[in-house]
This record gives sequence, C-alpha cells and structure tokens, in this order.
Amino acid sequence: MKKYLSIFNISFQQEFAYRINFIMWRVRNVLQIFLVFFLWDAVFKDPGRVVFGYNREGILTYVLGLIIVKSFVFSSKSMDVAGEISRGELSNYLVKPVSYFKYWITRDLSSKSLNLSFAFFETLFLFLILKPSFFIQTDPILLIFFLLSLILAFSLFSLLLFIVSAITFWMPEAGWGAHFLISIISVEFMSGALFPLDILPHFLQRIVNYTPFPYMVFFPMQVYLGKILDSAAVKGILISGLWILVLYFIMTLVWRKGLKVYEAYGR
Amino acid sequence: MADKLVNQLSVVRHWLGKLLRSLKLPQPQKLKVSFVLSFCKRLFYYFRIWILMSKNSFMTVLSRKKILFLFLLGKILRFSFFTAFIYFLVLGAKGLSGYTKEQVVFFFLTFSLIDILSQFLFREVYRFRSLVVTGDLDLVLTKPVSTLFRVLMGGADVIDFITIPPLLFAVCYVGNLFQPSYLQIFLYILLFFDGFLVALAFHIAVLALGILTLEIDHSIMIYRDLVALGKLPIDIYREPLRGILTFIFPVAIMVSLPAKALMGLVSLQGVFLSLTSAVLTFFVSLRFWNFALKKYTSASS
Repeated sequence: MKKYLSIFNISFQQEFAYRINFIMWRVRNVLQIFLVFFLWDAVFKDPGRVVFGYNREGILTYVLGLIIVKSFVFSSKSMDVAGEISRGELSNYLVKPVSYFKYWITRDLSSKSLNLSFAFFETLFLFLILKPSFFIQTDPILLIFFLLSLILAFSLFSLLLFIVSAITFWMPEAGWGAHFLISIISVEFMSGALFPLDILPHFLQRIVNYTPFPYMVFFPMQVYLGKILDSAAVKGILISGLWILVLYFIMTLVWRKGLKVYEAYGR
Repeated sequence: MADKLVNQLSVVRHWLGKLLRSLKLPQPQKLKVSFVLSFCKRLFYYFRIWILMSKNSFMTVLSRKKILFLFLLGKILRFSFFTAFIYFLVLGAKGLSGYTKEQVVFFFLTFSLIDILSQFLFREVYRFRSLVVTGDLDLVLTKPVSTLFRVLMGGADVIDFITIPPLLFAVCYVGNLFQPSYLQIFLYILLFFDGFLVALAFHIAVLALGILTLEIDHSIMIYRDLVALGKLPIDIYREPLRGILTFIFPVAIMVSLPAKALMGLVSLQGVFLSLTSAVLTFFVSLRFWNFALKKYTSASS
C-alpha cells in the first residue's frame, strides 16, 4: 500500500511539472462546455419549455455536471499504456515488485483528484459568469446511487482503456489510432458526454444501451437529476457491475494472450 | 459633420498608407510583366515542392494501412455522430435560434469543410514543436525555400484528403436545397476562401507562438476548440462571447458568414468587413511570425 501511495504522490507532483500543459488542458475543457451550454441555452430560451423530457434547469445542470463527471471518469493517464507496450517499456514494470494495473490505477486516481479539484472551480466560475438555473439533488439515496455509479463508471472506463491499449501487443503502431476510435470518439458520443442520449430516436437509444458506454456519463447524470429512481437505479447499477465483470474477463484474457506475444521491441 | 468625416477619412488613409508601406508591397509602377512572370514561376516552384512533400507524407501514411483505416473510420464516425446529433436535436426542438434543421446542418458542413481543408494542408503545424525543441529548424532555415511554407505545408494529410470529396458533395447537396442565386454562390465561395485565409492566419500565429513558448500541442487544440464553436450558427452565443468570436477570434467570419451568404442572410457591408478583417488578420499573423522567428535561439542543435 505504501508504494502505491508513493506512486500517487509522485504522479501528482508530475502533473505540476508541466503546469502550462495542465492549465491549457483545463481551458480546453471549459471551451468545449461553451458550445454545448450555448446550444442548449438557445434551445431552451423560453424558460417554460420542455424538450426531450428536460426543462431548462435539468438540461443546464446536465451540461455543467458534465465537467465534474467527465473530470472524474475520463481523466486518466493509462492511455499511455499503449505507448509503453509499443516502445517495449512494459518490460521495466514486469521485473518490478508492483502490479502493473494497480500502478496505473493509482496514477489515474492521482490525475482524477487533481482534475476534479480544478473542475469544481471551473464549474463555480461558469456558474458565476453564465448564471444558469441549476438543479441541486437533495435526496441522500439518489446521491449515494450517483456516487456509486460514478465509481462504476470510472472502473468501466479504466478497463476499456486497458483492453484498447492491449491492441498494441499485436499492432504496435495502432495504439493511438485505436484509442482515437474507441476511447475518444465512441466514448464521447455514446456515453452522453456531448449530449443526453435520450434526444436520439428510440431504436438508436436501444442499440447504444446494449453497450457499456451509457453507464460512463449518461446513467450517473440521470441518477443525479432524479430521472432514474429506486428500482431502475438499482437495475442500472447492477448492469454496470455486470459490464465491469465482462470487461474484466475480456481484459485478463487479452492481456494474458498479449503478454505471450510481447517481444519487448525497442528494448 | 462633413469636415469631421473628411478628417476621419484622412486619418484612415494615413494609417492604411503606413500599413501598406510597412508590408513592402511592390509599387504599382514596378508591377511589370517581368514581375508577374517571375511571380508565377516562383509559385510553380513552390507548387512542385508541395507536391513532392505531400507525396512523401502520403506514402508514409499509406504504408501503414491499419492505422489509416482506424483514423479514417474515427473521423467518419465523429462526423456522422455530430451530424446525427444536430439533426435529431433541431428536429426535436423544431429549429434553433430561428434556423431550420437543413440550415443548421449546412453551418456544420461548412465548418467541417474549412476545418478539414486546413487540417489537410497545414498538418505539419502539429509536428512543429519537435523541430523547435531539437533545433532541427536550423536545417529548414538553411534551405532555399520559405521556412514558413515548409513548416506550414510540409506534410499534407492523406486521411483528411480522402474525406474532402464526400464532404464537398454533402455541402453542394445541402446547399442546393436553399436554391441559391448565382450571387449567393459567388459570395459563398468568396467568403469560404476568406474564412480559409483566417484559418491560415490562425495556424501561422500558432507556429509563431510555438517558437516563443515551445508549446504547440495545446495551442493548436485550443485553436481547434475555439473554431469548433463555429460548428453552429454564431447567433446562438450570448454577448460578449459573440463579440469575441466576431472581432477577436473571427470564427464568425471564418465559418458562419460563408454559410449565411449562401442562405442570402448577409449584407454587402458584412462581406466587405469580413474581407477586410480576414486580410488584416493574415498580415498581423505574418508580422507575428517574422517577429517570433527573430527570437528563435537554435537551442539544442
């Protein structure tokens, strides 16, 4: 445990070594929110309007909530795993007395804690300059479900990153391409990180719901907004848990096979 | 009143004269046939270099077909997902700030075309940082071609190139739904190139900033995030953001105005203002580049 605490600390300090990079990354997050915020602001110009089952307060809460949820779920360092495999740097870790997965999860947690603290200030800043109507959830049960769904979302995304990174065992140059296609494009659109998925036609929603993506952003936000209650929330959490088991099984299988073909190119 | 106007005009003339002199443009009397011929020759010379550099760049990517496939699929998916999102959103909301779903999609298509065209031509900007931090820019500086040309257009992107024809077709198809007049089409094309000039200016500014701060990756991504605000009509934004996107980072001029021109929603005054500000932005970015280049220290070489 002590060694992972040290990894956490070092990783945290490393983020501050490239301050400009980090600040610019956060500026980008705020800029991205502007597009979505003003888009919905234009749709809900009339405060009494209800579209896609959302009122103005609900949708603007969804948009601002994205900053917090995305910074917790998607802030991650483990995308670099693909590069480590292709450069042969994975060998360095295989001979060390640390679990490679725990090492990266610790680094991810460090990144998440830093990003999350910045995200709170950004949300506050946007709240002050945009003055949106904001919904604050007060039901403690739903808040617990929300926190639980966030932890599950974080696990889902981490497992997905490890599975996608494992592609580099077989295609060393395709790591970034695979992450671009799956971890960035597919996740961004199908998780609800850009728009709530219920604006899509029912048949598309049904297709997306058969994937683990909605449980990364859309589901936690729906729980926070109180649109998914009691048994539906429990059902959603169980499905998230099931997806975690499935992805964990795939990950261990892929990594076991991947390590057998790993030849430490570049070392 | 008339005196005041005359005074203001003379001040504008004075400053414009100063600006033109500082740009060291050829004097009209020197603009002879020989000058035009040597200019065309030079242009052809650079075109041949560009073809050569693009061929090399294309071959590099084409030799890795799996990566090409992944990125191409990613780009197509991103485009399709966003188009579908806009379509279903405006369909469900029954319009957006007074625009129909076809109009909103057309704004997005125009944005995509300018964005992809600039990525196709200026992809080398994304690789500029390594040239500066390793000092390898020295090797470019000593070559008998413009350094700016080399670092801006030295690596055309084949993935973006593949996506241009279908996108162009989509722009023509959706644009045709508005039944534009010849004047509207002419203004669209004119303002499209005007917007492209702004994109070029932004890329030059990012390169200059790269020399001064050694930071490219985030600057270019912030530029892209800012330009992405033009995916939708600029009218949806509140002041002062709308003002910033029109006058400081002219995203409105770059993306929204061409689309509006095709829909017949732009005045001739707006066209003139847009052309002027794009040319001005371009020259300011050139000046910035020249300033930054003088600060290059050749460190690490």
